[in-house]
Amino acid sequence: MIIASMRSRMEYKLSFIFMFFALLVFYAGQVGVVVLIVTKFHHIAGWTLGEMAFLYGLLVFSQGLTAILFYSLNDFESYMINGDFDRLLVRPLNPLGQIVSSKFEIASMAHFLIGTTALIFGAQKAGIDWTLGKVAYLPVVFIGAVLIQGGIRLAVSAVAFWTTRNSSLVHTVIYSSKEMIMYPVSIYKMWMQVFLTLVFPLAFVNFYPSHYFLNRGAGDLLFHPLIQYLTPLTGTIVFVFGYWLWNQGMVRYQSVGN
Amino acid sequence: MIEAKINGKAANTNRFDSVTNEERLHGFRNILALYINFAGKSFQQQLAYKFEYFIGVFNGLLFIFIFTSLWQAIFESSPVAGTTGFTLQKITAYAIFAMIIRISMTQDDVSTIAKIRSGAISMDMIKPMNYFTMLLAECLGQTLFHWATRVFPIFMVCLLAFEISIPSSPWLWTMFSVVWLLGYMLQFMLNFIFAMIAFWTVETFSFKLMKYGLFTIFSGGIIPIDFFPEWLMPFINILPFQYILYLPTSIIIGHISGDMAINMIAIQFCWVIGMGFMCWKMWTSGSRKLVVQGG
Repeated sequence: MIIASMRSRMEYKLSFIFMFFALLVFYAGQVGVVVLIVTKFHHIAGWTLGEMAFLYGLLVFSQGLTAILFYSLNDFESYMINGDFDRLLVRPLNPLGQIVSSKFEIASMAHFLIGTTALIFGAQKAGIDWTLGKVAYLPVVFIGAVLIQGGIRLAVSAVAFWTTRNSSLVHTVIYSSKEMIMYPVSIYKMWMQVFLTLVFPLAFVNFYPSHYFLNRGAGDLLFHPLIQYLTPLTGTIVFVFGYWLWNQGMVRYQSVGN
Repeated sequence: MIEAKINGKAANTNRFDSVTNEERLHGFRNILALYINFAGKSFQQQLAYKFEYFIGVFNGLLFIFIFTSLWQAIFESSPVAGTTGFTLQKITAYAIFAMIIRISMTQDDVSTIAKIRSGAISMDMIKPMNYFTMLLAECLGQTLFHWATRVFPIFMVCLLAFEISIPSSPWLWTMFSVVWLLGYMLQFMLNFIFAMIAFWTVETFSFKLMKYGLFTIFSGGIIPIDFFPEWLMPFINILPFQYILYLPTSIIIGHISGDMAINMIAIQFCWVIGMGFMCWKMWTSGSRKLVVQGG
């Protein structure tokens, strides 16, 4: 199903290339802001250009991975409003599985390109010494980051079971919040750092694991240094929670008899 | 709401066939009542999604929070911060006002594209009104709603949360009103020009993304233009973006004043004229294309 939808998007080649280019310009705006600030002020809260690039790379690459799997959840409210969800319910497959594989997003390819570039550039510039442990931990971090972001998307979509509409919430939680972790979490006030660690654990997507890769020690960590390794665990917890909420929502949806 | 208006209009014009003058007057009252009815309905619709509304306000505050934190972290540790002409207090005010002005200029930039694509634009063309001004009026209406429901509450929260001084000079406020209005027009015309692209191609979303990317960085909405490297300045100066956010923000926080301000407002005004001309050009050639094709 993923491949089929990918093919359908590739059909219009010129359009595809143009869209891809437009996405690069769009992200250049985002990256440009960070680059301008870091070059002007040398560092952001002790994070140099290379380290900022690595931080950004982790975020964008994992975002691309998440988008491949969960992109179609962004528009979940339309399933609710148009009643398309009922169509999924009558099929003998898990409704979530059907939604997840229904759309392929070009944006994720742009994410991979930008993410990989940022990671390579950041790793070189910051002089990361790739030990065996780091090489092995990188894919684990990606899986954990995808689980965190996917779990959050699931939870946000599940809200639509109750409120029908959730597009502003999706926008805030999925996109605006990303803006927060483009910068080192240590720039925020303590309560926000706690929030981003314990309540809405986006800091595990890039901030904490970066400490391990960049050998930053515990300088600007609010918690025990062990936290650098907790991304996979956090991912599992968040995803289980998201899936649980989703199932609760589905039970409610069915019991209302829509 | 826009669609509802079109429907209402269409329904009423049909009834105009073979009626006397008196009935016509009566019909006019009906139309007015209908409009008010629709407006009321759309207002109710807005209210129905309270949750959406609060999230929207929250989103604006979140961005203000991010950028004020960012500048605080930078200005407390960077050695070059002192050489920029900004203090922590000033840059904080900049971040807050830039975001509030940005929200105050929120405009609907999809409805025209959707209309052109679906062909519904022809319904607007046969109306005895200029589409540009009609759209502008609609946009201003939405903006007023935004001022009351988003800009004002966000501003109140910022007043409580941050130490920002509000300028008291009436001259400054007059100047700001002019600059805001011109900036608003620029933003509107920029959206209009990008919407006109839909007459020629379906790739409007890509164009919108590019516009958004350029706007993010060059409007000064996040970083004041002062922080840009020297070699980028010629490029920034040939783009209209800085006159949308950077100029109004700089004027309200007192960063730009006096002759400098007057000069920049003059350039801003030229941009409004120039882009107005471009809007008119694109609209006429775009609509001609539509008519020729019999769209």
